[in-house]
Amino acid sequence: MQSLSIAATGMMAQQLNVEVISNNVANMSTAGFKRQKATFQDLMYQDLKRVGSTSSDAGTIVPAGVQVGMGVRTAAVTRIAAQGNLDITENDYDLAIQGRGYFRIQMPSGDDAFTRAGNFSTSATGQLVTADGYTVQPGITIPSNAIDVSINAQGLVQVTLSGQTDPQTVGQLELAAFQNPAGLDPLGDNLFMESAASGTPTTGSPASDGFGSLLQGYLETSNVNAVSEITNLITAQRAYEMNAKMITATDEMLSVTSNLR
Amino acid sequence: MENALLIGMTRQMALRREMSIIANNLANINTNGFKAEQPIFEQYLSRTASEDSPNDTISFVQDFGMHRDLGEGRMEVTDNPLDVAISGEGYFKIDAPEGTRYTRNGAFELDAQGRLVTGDGYPVLSAAGTGFTFGPEDGQILISGDGTISTDQGPQGRISLVTFEEERKLQKAGGTLLKTEEPEIPVENVSVLQGAVESSNVQPILEMTHMISVMQAYQSANKIVEKSDELQRQAISTLAKVN
Repeated sequence: MQSLSIAATGMMAQQLNVEVISNNVANMSTAGFKRQKATFQDLMYQDLKRVGSTSSDAGTIVPAGVQVGMGVRTAAVTRIAAQGNLDITENDYDLAIQGRGYFRIQMPSGDDAFTRAGNFSTSATGQLVTADGYTVQPGITIPSNAIDVSINAQGLVQVTLSGQTDPQTVGQLELAAFQNPAGLDPLGDNLFMESAASGTPTTGSPASDGFGSLLQGYLETSNVNAVSEITNLITAQRAYEMNAKMITATDEMLSVTSNLR
Repeated sequence: MENALLIGMTRQMALRREMSIIANNLANINTNGFKAEQPIFEQYLSRTASEDSPNDTISFVQDFGMHRDLGEGRMEVTDNPLDVAISGEGYFKIDAPEGTRYTRNGAFELDAQGRLVTGDGYPVLSAAGTGFTFGPEDGQILISGDGTISTDQGPQGRISLVTFEEERKLQKAGGTLLKTEEPEIPVENVSVLQGAVESSNVQPILEMTHMISVMQAYQSANKIVEKSDELQRQAISTLAKVN
């Protein structure tokens, strides 16, 4: 019976839904994490009686045919790029992006990766690096005798050296923006790669047209909303149960048939 | 004699189909813009061959059509700026490769070229008959209640909403898209909501009760088949008894 396989597609879809929700909840306190949402679509339809086919010699037509759907499929697991909250950390090298854009990170392989997690620190040589030690592009080196580092909203990095009063500029941070940030390819570790769906990045300095501004001493928290995740979990679980019931019911109908003789 | 068997069989076949439709509704309980369906059955009358009662008819069951519940689904707030829910009548126009398609599923995205597309990557059409394309300079995308899309660069056009004389003639084409040959009627009072999607209008309780009643009807139809089988067997054994 068809209803068996139709209900099975429903169970698989809800299972994926729960998986996406659990990943969101697991990353609730991951800096720069963007929540995901599974969206579904109905599968193709089997026409048992076509809409608009002639039903009599007088030319009357069938107003609504009989179409049996084949179940559900996952359309997409979309990343929702809404801004996360800003969490004050008072760490000089923590940067939050307010608005559009990603930091460009150089991977050990030489490829560019992108992130919104601005929990940076300095390496042994004074380079601005991510928590994994990958350099932030364009490279910025903080002199070892710097006593104070300030990064303004436009991404200008200035240091005050010991024995000097005037701050010196050591570099300018840049942001990369994508046409379709939801299409970025996630690498894990808060990093993303450019993909065919995301389009090529355009770079620019923070707070310029089309780019967000930087905030020193803050981190962007994940945009996961605990309440909505839990309510989504409840609906997903109930939907899973109902599809399972459908399988039991179909099974019972089949057993009725097979017990005919 | 076999009529009872056959009637029982037509009933069971129709019930199996009904079960598939209920299963499809339940499977799509979380599908945006999905509309629940229900089959409609009719009697298929046929004359009995008996000479004594020429006017007696027996009725078979035949599925006649489907009833699509066109009621609005729940508005689910997603805070995704590219999610658009229609409140009231109308369908979005989608430029699918197979031709124009219609949908109430407003979970849109941007593709690599910055076009506003459905989850499958088909462009959403504007009232002017073109798609929408956004560049990095556009910044935030705002969709007002009347469907006008504007960005930092000013208004970008209006989302096209159309409706039809006979909405039930729209045929489901999968992927929450609908197709039809019917002429479009532009919706005059467009009302859309940004940051929300219309979820499926499947009512779980209704579907579960339908499921139970289908199961029971199937069992009782089975009884008819069983009984007529028993009658035949009895007839054969009684008639064949020669002593």
